Amino acid sequence: MKISYKWLREYIDIDLSVDDLKDKLTFSGIEVEAVQQTNELLDFIFVAEIKEKKTHPNSDHLSICKVFDGKDTMQVICGAPNCEQGQKIAFAPVGTKIGDFVIKKAKLRGEESFGMICSEKELGISDKHEGIMILPDDAPIGKSLGNYLGIADTVFDVEITPNRVDLLGMIGIARDLSAQLDVELFTPLLKEYQHKDLATYAVEIKETNLCTRYIANVIEGVKIEQSPEWIRECLIANEIKPINNVVDITNYVTLEFGHPLHAFDKKYVDGDRIIVRNAKKGEEFPALDHNKYVLNGDELVIADSNKAIALAGIIGGINSHITDDTVDIVLEAACFNPSQVRRTSHEKKIFTDSSYRFERGCTEQVAELVAKRALDLILTFCGGVHTRTVDVYPNPKEEEIVVLRPSRMTKLLTLVLDDEKIIDYLTALGLDLLKQDTDALTFKIPAYRQDLTREIDLIEEIIRLHGYDSIEAKPEKEEITDKISFYQRRKVQDYFVTQGFYEVLNLSFSDPYYLDMLNIPANDYRRSFIEIMNPQGQASSIMRTTFLPGLLKNAVYNFNHGQENIKLFELNKVFFTSDKKLGTEKWVISGVLSGKIAPIHWKNKTENINFFYLKGLIETLLALFPINKYEIVPSDEPFYQVNLAAQIRIGKQVIGTFGKFDPKVAGKFEYDKEIFGFEIDFNECLKYMNKKGVVFKEISKLQTVSRDLSFIVSKEYPVQSIINDIIQCNAKLIKEVIPFDEFTGKQIQTGFRSISFNILLVPETNNLTDDYINDLINSIIDKLKSKYHIEMR
Amino acid sequence: METKLNHVVLAAENDIKGAQSIHELMNIKAKYIGKKSEIMDLMKTLGSLSPEERPKVGKTINIAKQNIENLLENRIVKLKEMEYQKTLQDSKVDLSMPGYAIGYGSLHPLTIVWREIEDIFISMGFDIAEGYDIEDEFHNFDALNTPKDHPSRNLADTFYIKDDVLLRTQTSTVQIRTMENYKPPIKIISPGRCYRNDRPDASHSPAFHQVEALVVDENITFQDLRDTLNTFVKKMFGNHMKSRFRPHFFPFTEPSAEIDISCVNCGGKGCAICKNSGWLEMGGAGLVDPNVLGKLGIDTEKYSGFAFGLGIDRITILKYNIPGLRLLYENDIRFLKQFTMNN
Ligand SMILES: [Zn+2]
Repeated sequence: MKISYKWLREYIDIDLSVDDLKDKLTFSGIEVEAVQQTNELLDFIFVAEIKEKKTHPNSDHLSICKVFDGKDTMQVICGAPNCEQGQKIAFAPVGTKIGDFVIKKAKLRGEESFGMICSEKELGISDKHEGIMILPDDAPIGKSLGNYLGIADTVFDVEITPNRVDLLGMIGIARDLSAQLDVELFTPLLKEYQHKDLATYAVEIKETNLCTRYIANVIEGVKIEQSPEWIRECLIANEIKPINNVVDITNYVTLEFGHPLHAFDKKYVDGDRIIVRNAKKGEEFPALDHNKYVLNGDELVIADSNKAIALAGIIGGINSHITDDTVDIVLEAACFNPSQVRRTSHEKKIFTDSSYRFERGCTEQVAELVAKRALDLILTFCGGVHTRTVDVYPNPKEEEIVVLRPSRMTKLLTLVLDDEKIIDYLTALGLDLLKQDTDALTFKIPAYRQDLTREIDLIEEIIRLHGYDSIEAKPEKEEITDKISFYQRRKVQDYFVTQGFYEVLNLSFSDPYYLDMLNIPANDYRRSFIEIMNPQGQASSIMRTTFLPGLLKNAVYNFNHGQENIKLFELNKVFFTSDKKLGTEKWVISGVLSGKIAPIHWKNKTENINFFYLKGLIETLLALFPINKYEIVPSDEPFYQVNLAAQIRIGKQVIGTFGKFDPKVAGKFEYDKEIFGFEIDFNECLKYMNKKGVVFKEISKLQTVSRDLSFIVSKEYPVQSIINDIIQCNAKLIKEVIPFDEFTGKQIQTGFRSISFNILLVPETNNLTDDYINDLINSIIDKLKSKYHIEMR
Repeated sequence: METKLNHVVLAAENDIKGAQSIHELMNIKAKYIGKKSEIMDLMKTLGSLSPEERPKVGKTINIAKQNIENLLENRIVKLKEMEYQKTLQDSKVDLSMPGYAIGYGSLHPLTIVWREIEDIFISMGFDIAEGYDIEDEFHNFDALNTPKDHPSRNLADTFYIKDDVLLRTQTSTVQIRTMENYKPPIKIISPGRCYRNDRPDASHSPAFHQVEALVVDENITFQDLRDTLNTFVKKMFGNHMKSRFRPHFFPFTEPSAEIDISCVNCGGKGCAICKNSGWLEMGGAGLVDPNVLGKLGIDTEKYSGFAFGLGIDRITILKYNIPGLRLLYENDIRFLKQFTMNN
């Protein structure tokens, strides 16, 4: 439905900005789908004066005008016969867009022109195109035409929910806003019928369940002509074509109240009799849309003594409609059954504004209002004499009474309002307060609000008007969970489980002697343990600073119980003395491994756990956080075997160590198997993990190039250092350097090894030429030759 | 000439039929219609024929060549199908042989139950609060209304680090720290390791695990406490489970209660585990004593709260019917392996 802002102001005195009104509508439950300015063009057309007029030297119908727009005087060539010096005119300066046409500086037969003097047709104001639009002498020069004429209007296209039939009329919208904004509502004053009792007329309703009220007003001697401008404007704003004063008034009142009306030409209604009846099977009905419909018999029609003159609530007949020759009219205001209207409209595929409205329901009381309003307007603007009212209303509806308990409202809404405020809101919506008891307000519901039948409906109206936002959300619970740590711990546990590890739990106590067994020196951080004042024994006399003794004992326990393949991990806290009163607690992830990497298998050979399996396990763990920038370098961890001990380092910070336990340590823990172990500071991992997340990068469409490089090099150089140097040759291009073969043996001098690398080049801007690739590979070789003295194979 | 061609075609047909591989066929193709084949030789002689004969003879040769090509084509299709069928035959394996996997370990059963508890409370809108294992006497006792001379403060019951620093005996310490650092509404559980000076046996361990819940908000009632526990018990142990409260005394709740749940073993009928009562003791609960809230600067007229504590170790051994706590800390792979399917 369309709401003209200008028209709306006829009923409520508001001065909201377009955006504010849009908000008010939206938050009272009327969704605004679009906002349109009518005739925006007029904001760019200005009142100007023709200061001087000369005839064009090279043309007999063009004139050269000097136009003053309040600031400048410009030369404009005009072809209109009615343009004269001293006139106030509508001026479109250079740059104005009229339709698809932009006004430019032009030369007409040798004379320059800066702008255009417009006709009414060009401005979309009327069809008048003979000559330019002449404005009154007092029109203020420089003011925009839209502003001056006051034609500019804003039209809101709104969606009305099916329960709110009352909002399909301007008055309904205005009433709702008046309640919300607490401003007065002006509704048209409706006079009682004062018919002259001149005509005899009869209305007969045969189907009283399909037509619940029918009011016919007879007006004789009307003059059919064009409607007043303001009615035409309202209709145009609603995209309804003005026809003549009688039809326009019925449409206007429909828009005003949301209840459709229809007017018949009395001379074509045979027998001065309106009959509301079912159609006869096979009966023909010539409709206003110029189609002739053959009726089945289940349609409801309005008929005279001989023929159908309207499909009830849907469309009038061409045999009885108002024409320029009409003198006497019969004005219908009636209520038809919504399902009946819907069924016939869909069956016959006739969709009219009237059927749209009746489908959604109508009320008998509003029928009476629109009858009075239309009668009033017709008598005023079409003349004529009101000769008869016939009102058939077989079963008058009882008034709806609803009791509201403010306490119930408060319980549901957590909103406390005093009775006066509640009464204000509801009476503004048209409800009448009948009785005010303690916690019981009795209201009479107005006929046009058939949707209000229960207490909860009234509660909804109150909160809608008071504003949903007035109910504040409770203060939000603060986030207490340390989510990153919490979920990362679960992730790490799950990772080890899928790698075949069993999770163990050891109590937090330990024995300082274990640290001796692990060769941990006196100045080591693991010696900063916290002692228990009242321990249960030496073995549980301190809080543990490392899990490894416990894990080794778990391994030995399981060896002794027949297990050979062991993968155990523990994720828990260690404790250190510190300058803090309570010491320092840290999460640590540790594990021990022994035996096969995987269970023995008939097809894939299963290897024993070795240093590089463990290294890969740790690297994958770090990738899981993810931690990107770390180094794995040799470690002097005292309990790992020399050459098979490594530490994970980020800058200077060591975040964990791993390696193979020294056989001498094994002896102290009483086992003779190869055992590997690791211990990583989980808190440090969290500190260094990349928390930024991933930003997608376009996948390169360029060709990726892969090259292999094999050479012999001294064993003294770590492979990581060679890889780093290769990457540094072109870090943008070289994305991966993977050693895929290592080889020592007879052909190779002692102390040397042969290594093969796969180098992956991923270009970013353009494909690589062979020459370019070869140059790059050569530069890598040169660099390695000078730095590592490699010998190519 | 036609006889000659017929001979060639017949010979080719024979060879083609006998071919057992695509490679063989390629040789046959070269032999019969290749550059040095008899047919090509015949083609070359066309030039010497009269213009009338030329098209006729040419056509005859072409038909012969076409025939051979068709025979070749058909044989190729047949050979490819044979090859395909052979691949299928060769690929037959004993699908019942084991697949290759690195093996699947397991979480400790206590972790499995721990997570389950956390997830149930997270789904009920609780946050997880964590604190220190090593605590001061204030957070472990004083703030919880424990009298100065209460026996639980004894060295025989509590491990001490220093005079006023100890190993927490309950995770209520986390509740206190949470209320110190956050304003209501508060809705947390605090799972964690606790310590008591108990000698290890089937039902005791000097370190054990507990989860406590704390809710502080406006209009928190005893009913909210019952609802929360009831929901938890049903989600944790099943919809048929009931919970009941028995009046009890805890220093920091008022009213206080001990929580019983239906015996997980017999479902309430009575058995050895529940000593024929049909009920198992699960933990303690109550409304937070206004004194506790007040000391932490919480407006006790506006806010009220409830708290309860449950033993995770106890829930674990009940859930899996494990006979005693000892197995939980032995870390025997034969025990841990049983929980592989429980993840
Ligand atoms: Zn039982």
